[in-house]
Amino acid sequence: MQMDIKRIHKDLSKIVGTENVFSDKPTAVVYAKDVMPYDVEEHNIPYAVVRPGSTAEISRVLCYANDQQIPVHIHGSGTSLVGLARPKTKGIVLDTARMADVVVYPDRGYFEAGPGAHLAKVRKELSAYKAMLPIFPGSELVATIGGSIAVNTSAHAVDASLGKPGDYVLGLEVVMPTGEIVETGTESMRKPAGIELTKFLVGSEGLLCVITKVRMRLIPLPYFENIVAYYRCTEDILKTVMEMYKECISPPMFFEYLDEKSAKVGFKAVGLSEPVGAVAMMSMHSWSKAGSEEKAKKFLEFISVGQPIEAKIVKDKAEWEKIWSSRAEAGNYVYRLGSTFGSEVTPRVDKLQEAFRDAKAAILNLQSYKNPEFYSFGHIGAPTIHAYAFIPTKEIPNDIKKAIVKEVREITEDINVKYGGCGGEWGLTAQRISFLKKKYPPAYYQLLVKLKQAFDPNNILNRGNLEGWV
Amino acid sequence: MSGDNAYRTTLLKEIAKCRACRFCVDVCPTYQASAGVETLSSFGRLQVIKYLLIGDLEFDDSLSYALYSCLQCKRCENICKSKGQQLEICQIIQLGRNLLSRQLIEKRNNEKL
Repeated sequence: MQMDIKRIHKDLSKIVGTENVFSDKPTAVVYAKDVMPYDVEEHNIPYAVVRPGSTAEISRVLCYANDQQIPVHIHGSGTSLVGLARPKTKGIVLDTARMADVVVYPDRGYFEAGPGAHLAKVRKELSAYKAMLPIFPGSELVATIGGSIAVNTSAHAVDASLGKPGDYVLGLEVVMPTGEIVETGTESMRKPAGIELTKFLVGSEGLLCVITKVRMRLIPLPYFENIVAYYRCTEDILKTVMEMYKECISPPMFFEYLDEKSAKVGFKAVGLSEPVGAVAMMSMHSWSKAGSEEKAKKFLEFISVGQPIEAKIVKDKAEWEKIWSSRAEAGNYVYRLGSTFGSEVTPRVDKLQEAFRDAKAAILNLQSYKNPEFYSFGHIGAPTIHAYAFIPTKEIPNDIKKAIVKEVREITEDINVKYGGCGGEWGLTAQRISFLKKKYPPAYYQLLVKLKQAFDPNNILNRGNLEGWV
Repeated sequence: MSGDNAYRTTLLKEIAKCRACRFCVDVCPTYQASAGVETLSSFGRLQVIKYLLIGDLEFDDSLSYALYSCLQCKRCENICKSKGQQLEICQIIQLGRNLLSRQLIEKRNNEKL
């Protein structure tokens, strides 16, 4: 259908003001580009980018889009690693950047934030109240709270220790695809029991509503004690995690690992001497210093089960900062050396070693690009294995990049299906619809489609993400 | 390879180092001053240059504004390099401006200005 872009621009300008509507192609291209390594195509490029400044404006934009049958793609900061941020069809991109206020109500025990607030900003605001934001993605400098709640990701944290952000959401303000403004949840510290709409909307990945305000409980900032453990090989770390769950040991809030190759890259990047094997880092938390020290001491005793070469509690803050940042820097520096294609393998904990071996074999035997290298790191206590295919060049044709992404995705799907996992960090739609169809009986996907139809009868919001379009 | 092609290839190769992490977005003063318009961030400018080079974008006022509004303050480069990447972002933007100027002159679009 041919759309009159000038007309759309004019109509949207009446709602949000001319200065907050962009229909020039450079801006449209920039908002279409996400982290996916292949180029934006014509069908990804929106007619216009609209930047509302209030819930009422979002409501009017969605009423307009419904009336005109124009898809709306919600944009937080575009950092999704599974294609959620790329529009799959022509439409309007709705950027939440202007709605970024954070208000803390210590006397009420919660804070409220606009969807466009960057996580780093929220964390900074909360730290003044000795409160912690329970969301820890690598992209926190720019990732938004709206996007994080829409995906319900705590990212690097261990679910069994911290839970998901949704566990701390007391209520939401949302705009339904048809324009109605809805408030959910409570202002009390007592979360509603029973059927309550917040649960359906947290993690709905922009398919069911636009989140316009998030209300979250203030979590007291805990004390942390940190452990680093050096192992001969990654398998010993996996064994430790398997034993941790088997023996019902209280897990750390963070339990990260670097495999043998990634550890060398990460440690070198932060100026530490290269370890001989794989490395694990754990952070134990408690609401008292003595509590965290006791937990760390006990956990240090426990991890002898994996026979580390060396394991110790790191008291020196500067030393820990280097060790801790080596995990993030490993990913950054591996990318610097070429191209990386990542996966998110989250198996049943008793199958961790088998899943890791399968992921490694599958990556090394990639068909779409011969002889890639294998790197892995991630949040192993969660458990998440990020198995990466590394190709030591950035000069890979666009169609080959697309083929590698597809193959790595299929590998991940098969391993997660085989070992009972689902992914726990990056979201489940956009590129993962084929996974849902493999993992669950047809009724599951049909139910999702019915749910979408009930909330969004004209399929306005994030069209294509539930369909699995690229 | 002609001079122009070599120039184009070099520039595309440099931009290919960008992983689209967008860490450079929030530190950009023009992004901040515009209340978060991503076209007016370093990430946005790199994309504009890339798609100009591969022929998906053509000259228009918004494209020139995106490229020429950069203050060359290098805050984006600092964050990019601190995250392990090796992009000379400000230099790429300068080269992008150069490319844009040459295209304008060649196509006599400069007469519009």
